[in-house]
Parts: sequence; structure tokens; C-alpha cells
Amino acid sequence: MTFFWQLLLTGVATGALYALMSMGFVLVYRATSVVNFAIGEFLLVGGYVTFTLAHFLPLPLAMLGALPVAFLVGVGVERAFVRPLIGRSVVAVIMATIGLALTLDGAAQLVWGPDQKYLSGSLPPVLLTFGELILPPRAFWSLAISLPVALGLIYFLQKSRWGVLVRAVSESEVAALAMGIPAPRIVTAVWGLSAALAAVGGALLAGLSGVGPHLVQLGLMVFPVTILGGLESVGGALAAGLIVGVAEALSKGYLEAYLPGISETVPFIIVLIVVLVRPYGLFGRRDIERV
Amino acid sequence: MKVTRRQLLQTGIGTVAAYGVPRFARAQARPVKLAALLPLTGPFAFAGNAALDAFRDATDYVNEVMGGVGGRKLELIVEDTGYDVAKGTAAFNRVIGKESPEELLFVYGDSTGLSKALAPEIARLGVPYSATSYSSELADPERYPGIWVFGPTYSDMMEALLRYIHEKKPGARIALVHSNSEFGRDPIPYVKQRAAQLGLPIVAEEVTPLVLSDATPTILKLRQAKPDFVLTQGYVLTAEPLLVKTAREYGLNATFMGTYYSSEVILMKRAGPAADGFIATYHNAYSYDKSTPAVQAIYELRAAKGKEPGYLTTFYMGAFFVGVAVGEAMRRAAAAGELTRPGITKALGKMWDYDAMGLIHSMRFVGHRLPYTRLYRANAGKGIYEPLTDWLELA
Repeated sequence: MTFFWQLLLTGVATGALYALMSMGFVLVYRATSVVNFAIGEFLLVGGYVTFTLAHFLPLPLAMLGALPVAFLVGVGVERAFVRPLIGRSVVAVIMATIGLALTLDGAAQLVWGPDQKYLSGSLPPVLLTFGELILPPRAFWSLAISLPVALGLIYFLQKSRWGVLVRAVSESEVAALAMGIPAPRIVTAVWGLSAALAAVGGALLAGLSGVGPHLVQLGLMVFPVTILGGLESVGGALAAGLIVGVAEALSKGYLEAYLPGISETVPFIIVLIVVLVRPYGLFGRRDIERV
Repeated sequence: MKVTRRQLLQTGIGTVAAYGVPRFARAQARPVKLAALLPLTGPFAFAGNAALDAFRDATDYVNEVMGGVGGRKLELIVEDTGYDVAKGTAAFNRVIGKESPEELLFVYGDSTGLSKALAPEIARLGVPYSATSYSSELADPERYPGIWVFGPTYSDMMEALLRYIHEKKPGARIALVHSNSEFGRDPIPYVKQRAAQLGLPIVAEEVTPLVLSDATPTILKLRQAKPDFVLTQGYVLTAEPLLVKTAREYGLNATFMGTYYSSEVILMKRAGPAADGFIATYHNAYSYDKSTPAVQAIYELRAAKGKEPGYLTTFYMGAFFVGVAVGEAMRRAAAAGELTRPGITKALGKMWDYDAMGLIHSMRFVGHRLPYTRLYRANAGKGIYEPLTDWLELA
């Protein structure tokens, strides 16, 4: 039974990280209806910025320092790639984000070079034990960072003035503008926030196995999570992240012996089943616009 | 009109001078070419760019230190594959279409997939070919006559690890952790068969993605199986650091091992003290091993060109080895008056006496691969791999 609980515990920790990575994606979709295919590259840039700052600062400070830089990257992306496409078809915007992904891949290699890198320093090595259960430092920090950020974001969207403005813009940008809400500024801020959230995820992932293009591959997990949770539901992203993390861990623990490689497909199988029943995801709205 | 002998001679010499000498001179000035199709972008860009640097240095070494190839210069042609079979195939076709068969004498590619895709064309064109892949499947002269593996295959590497385990702890319990990819699965059937022969029970087999976000389930299952040794395969240090760190956290005391692509020292930077004791196979020389003549030669060459004297990765060393070894094969083919694709193929099969200044144990190909390697053990304190065995002959 310890085996099960251990899998559950680390699955929740991994799921919290998935949720954190996905929330920025959901925020952008909610505010602008743009499916950001460059979300993996946002993680990559966050990882690389943290890597650079970690040369001069302890890792926790480097991670904090990466937030404003990533925010500015997000703002720059919105200004350069997204804003010029306002009013164009959704497909055009999607193609732009795919182009953005390739651009960021190339830019990261130009700026930071192609060689394999590692994150110097580490977060404080907190190792918690609950009887026979162990919560290793990586899992602890995934939970300790991701859950408060995710819950804080949900609270922020529900209760704060800025959160209300974001929701207003996501309901109808035109109506929001008519009400005097500075919609373009809100959208810019949302892109910045999305990049900052991804930067935290990127830094946490980079702490696992180094910094490099493989972070983009890990970022692909955002898609099953957000589709499962509902493309415009921040709370849904949190729930779906936890579901996917736990499902992955349990399938790895119990199914892999019989079906090698199954744990890689489990998130997508779950998404498929849920989407068949609820095409808009677990927490999505029925009037979701599909692309 | 009567032509005298003197006039005939003068006309003959004049004709030769007018047409023959420039042609001869052109033939001598014409370079021989090596095409390198490398992953300069994409997930393997770290290896591709290191290899590019190495191929450039190796080309300079062949031309400036070895004196060229039979009076001709070696020229490097580079194309980016992006680690994508379609892009790599297009790059190959571009190079083959543009270059003449008399000049383009060797092609270096980037993966098992690309090599297999190109195999029929390689056979048809008769162009000697090698790649970054050490796939067991490629080292098959019957099936892929043009493909040469410049090192041991992944199965050979596993053979070296299994022999070591058998010698150190007969009957030891083995676990396999490999990626769910062609690269990861390549030596697994061989390992299972060979482990059974050696009486080494395989107590667990874990299949994972190439990149991990959490290694806990894998390590928990390994802990239940209680292996003495864990053989990893099919990663490029994207998973090994997390595996060894997680193993340490959960008290799994097995010795972790890996093959060529786990032998880069970045493992110790990424995994810290948890990497200590990791054993990997490696068949060239580390750039910090200054006792190897090739290492000295490389640093002298780079110093002369004003390049940085820092650490050179295993990917660099491997590509430099291929570059100079191909240059040597071309020189031998030229000396035999056969500086052609078949001539180089013949030369490659007869280079038993060559060790590329210590970069390989021997260039004696067995089944189109070089079945020699050494084992190295990670010393996390020093941040380097230290030799654990001498050269092992695996076939």
C-alpha cells in the first residue's frame, strides 16, 4: 500500500507542476482566444534565463529574477507577433504562434549556444518523510511553488480588480473596450504573466535534468492538461494537471509492466475519453470555440 | 606537305602543354570531399555543433598536418538535418546531386533512422557512409554494405558492461531502464540473451520517455526488484541525472551504468554527488586525457588557430576521430592509386595498424564496426570520468 501512496504523492507533485505550466496557456486562451503553440518555448526561455541568472545569484533568487525578464519576453511577443494579427483569422494567429515557436527555438540556440547545460545551485534540499512515505526535494518544491501560485492566480482572477478586468476582456474584448477597459494593455499583461508562469515551470524542470531543448518536449504536456481541464478554465488546469500527474504515476507503477510505454499515452487516453463525453473539457464552457 | 620528326615532336609537346598540363593541374587542384549531415538545430544540436567544430578541425589537420590527400585538399561540406529524417534525406540528395562522384568520397549522417532511410541510395551509389548512430542493426555488411560504424555498437557496449558485471559479481541482479525509442530498444534483445548466458538475472525492465518529468515510479519499482546494477540505454543525459538523483533519495543502492551517450561529463554537473560511481562505456579519449597523442595534437591545432583551449565534449572527440580516420583512409586509397569511393571502402577494411593517435584501440573493423571500448567510472568530486578498465575487445 505504501507503493500506491508514494505514487499518489509524487503524482500530485508532478501534476502541480503540469498545472503551473498550463495556467499561462489557459490565461492567454481565455483573454485572447489564441492557442499558443509556443508555450513549450516559453518554458525553454524561462529555463535559460534562470540558467543565466544562476551564474550570479543563488538559484531561488535566479528563479525570482527570471520572472520579470520572462514577463518582458511575453510582452514583446504580444507586441511583435500577436497584436499585428488582431482581427485576422484564428488560423493565421495559430500559424504565427507556430512560427514564434521556431523563432524562439532558433533564438535560444543563438543566444545561449547549443551545448548541454545544467542549472548551477539548487533549491534548499527539503526532504520530508511521513512514515514510510518520502517527499523528495523536487516534489516538495513543485508542490510548494506550484500550488500556491495556482491557487493565488485563481483567487486573483476571481477577486482582484485586475482579475475582473481580465475576465471582462476574455468575455468580450469589444464590450470591454466600450466600457473603458484598457483591453490592449490587459492582453499584453496576460501574455507577460503567461510567460512568467512558464518561466517558473521551466526553471523547475531545468532543475531535474538540465537546461536544453528537451524542455520543449516536456512542455507538450500542457496540451492534454488544458484540453482535459477546459481551454479557458484556470481552475480546470489545476484539477487536470493533478489528474494527469497522478494518472501518469499510477500507470507507470501498475500498467507499465504489462504495457510498456503506456504511461506516455495515458494522459491522451484520458483526454480522448473525456472529450468524447464533454468536448469542452471537464471545466470548460459549452460555447467553447474549437479550432 | 612533309612533316619532319622535329615538327611532329614540337606539335605533340605543344598539344600536351596546351591541353594536358592544365587538365592534370586541375585534377591535382580538385579537392576530395567529405559531406557531414549534422543535427545543427533541434534536440541534438549540442552534438551536431560539437561535431561540426571537430570536422572542421579534422579537415584542417588532414590538410595542414597530414599533408592533404594524395596532393589534393580535403574539403568539408556541411548540411543541417535538424535531427529529422526528411530534412536529412533532402540534405543528402542535395549533396549527392551537386557533387561529382570523383570528388565526394565519404558521407557522414546523423541517426539510425536517417541511415536506414539512406541505406538503399548509399548502396546504389557505392559511397562509404558513417553516422552518429551506433545501432547494432547498421553494422551489417550484408544488409548495409556501404555503412561503417566508427565504434562499437550499442550491443557491444552492453556486452562490455555485462562482462564487467559478471566478473565483479557473478549472478548479479540486473535491471534495464531504456527509452521508448529505436535508440533505447536497440540492444535490449541482445542484453536479455547475453545476460541469460552469463547467469545474470534480469529482475526489472522499465521503459520510459526520452525525457522525464519524474523518475519516482521507475525508481520505486526498481527498489522493489532490488537490482545490483541498472543498465540505462537510449538517453542523452536528459533522464540519467534524474534517475540517479531519485535513486539516491529513495535509498536504491544499485550501480547505474550507461553506454556512449551517457559518457559525457555533464552528467556530474546535472546530477551532482548522486552521479558518483556511474559507469559508462566510451571508446575515444577524453579531452582531459593529455597522455593521448591525439588530444595533444588537437589542442596544438586549436591553439594555432586561436581557438579556446577548454574542455572538448565526447561528441567532438568522436567526430574528430571519424574525420582523421576518413582522411587516413583517403590517403591510403590515394597511395594505392585508388582515390575513389570503392578505393576508400577497400582502404577502410585494411586499416588494422591505425589507431588515430590513440583515439581508438584499433581500426580493425569486424562486421563494419569497431568492437572496442573502455569502461569509465564517474568521479563526481572531480567532475570527470576516470578509466575503470583497459581496452576491451568485444568481437
